[in-house]
Amino acid sequence: MTTRPDGPLLAREEQQLVEGLLGGNEDAVRALYARYGRPIFTLGLRLLGSAEAAEELTQDVFLAAWRKAARFDPARGRLSTWLMTIAHNLAVDRLRRETGVTRPHLVLVDEVPELEWVDEEEPLIERDAAIRALESLSDAEKRLLARAYFGGLTAREIAEADGIPLGTVKTRLRTALIKVRRANQDKERP
Amino acid sequence: MTCLEVRELLPEHAIGVLGEPERARIQRHLMTCAGCRKEAGDLGQAASTLAFALPPARVPEGVGERVVAQVRRAAGAPRTRRRARTATAGLLAAAIVFASLGWGAVMAGRAERFADRAAQAQREQAIAIEHFQQVLGNVIPGGAPSDNETHIGQLAPVAASGTGGGFALQLVSPQILDFVMVRVNGLDDPSALPMRVQLVNDRGRVLRAGRIDALDEDGGAEVYHQFRTQGLGGFTTVNVVDSGGRLVLTGTVDQSA
Repeated sequence: MTTRPDGPLLAREEQQLVEGLLGGNEDAVRALYARYGRPIFTLGLRLLGSAEAAEELTQDVFLAAWRKAARFDPARGRLSTWLMTIAHNLAVDRLRRETGVTRPHLVLVDEVPELEWVDEEEPLIERDAAIRALESLSDAEKRLLARAYFGGLTAREIAEADGIPLGTVKTRLRTALIKVRRANQDKERP
Repeated sequence: MTCLEVRELLPEHAIGVLGEPERARIQRHLMTCAGCRKEAGDLGQAASTLAFALPPARVPEGVGERVVAQVRRAAGAPRTRRRARTATAGLLAAAIVFASLGWGAVMAGRAERFADRAAQAQREQAIAIEHFQQVLGNVIPGGAPSDNETHIGQLAPVAASGTGGGFALQLVSPQILDFVMVRVNGLDDPSALPMRVQLVNDRGRVLRAGRIDALDEDGGAEVYHQFRTQGLGGFTTVNVVDSGGRLVLTGTVDQSA
């Protein structure tokens, strides 16, 4: 099983990889890990705060992906999004279990020690695209999304903390996400 | 939940900060609503962009190999075949209800079928079967039944002007008491109540699978029945009939799958 390392995967290639994963094909798992292992580990480190927890999360994500592989539908979204959603949900679930609350209490961005980030010598295609997409946001929108996604704050909590109406926060969250989505779509167009 | 209520929560759903009850309610809605599902997908993709924008961390050596080994073990692990011929219908029903199986996925599949998207419908059915197996695996000693023991069929209105639809899931096993679960949706005539769900074999023998006394706000209802002495092999036709005995919905479970 071969995939092009230097460009985004085609839907057909994503489907092939997921089918390989479903069958426990080692080449497929290695290809998926080579492409997405680091960003998943990075997210785990950011949310869970330790390398040990991030490694456990990374293993759990690929195992969960294998279990859910039959459900993956390239027509509904990219493989990268699917895997990262699994990772984020698993991290949130883990935090819920450990804290015993029904809402995630994630580690705030500023509280995470910068544990040994790698050099930028291995640029990820998805990372380049993500950074470009986030450039479409104002600083305030970036902070808002980060507080929610990495900080685990609900719209209500943000509204209360900032003293602004709940509806305003919800609208801003939605607007920011739609801006990112549009930027992604623009990038995907030939 | 209405689409309006769901869409208001979708940004937080995409970001993953909703509590479990709301998350489950939204998931159930998304199974049946293609429009909201599309919106959820778009917002989810945008949210995951945040993760990819993080400066990449150094991954300890060996993680990749451990990931590969773990998936290889899981994929190659033999499934146990020894299961007790037990599990009560009540337990199964409770497990299914609490697991929020995403039955609506198949309802969405039905809509896709009408839009001539058979592959999509097939995928949705595979999801429902997988959920069904997972739930059964949680309550049946020895683990989930295999693919060739769990079957699905879609129910469609008999009359051209009829509304609603549904699906049936069957467990037909030599080792476990056979079980059927039927989910209907979109039935808009309360005067047709009570409705009955019947299973019919090719010789015209009819088994009663349950009765529908009330419909929820979506015109939906669920019926579960575990057969203590009767096997369901060959009972592939599933009918929903109204209080007057008229056929409302019908469909065929593919037991060859």
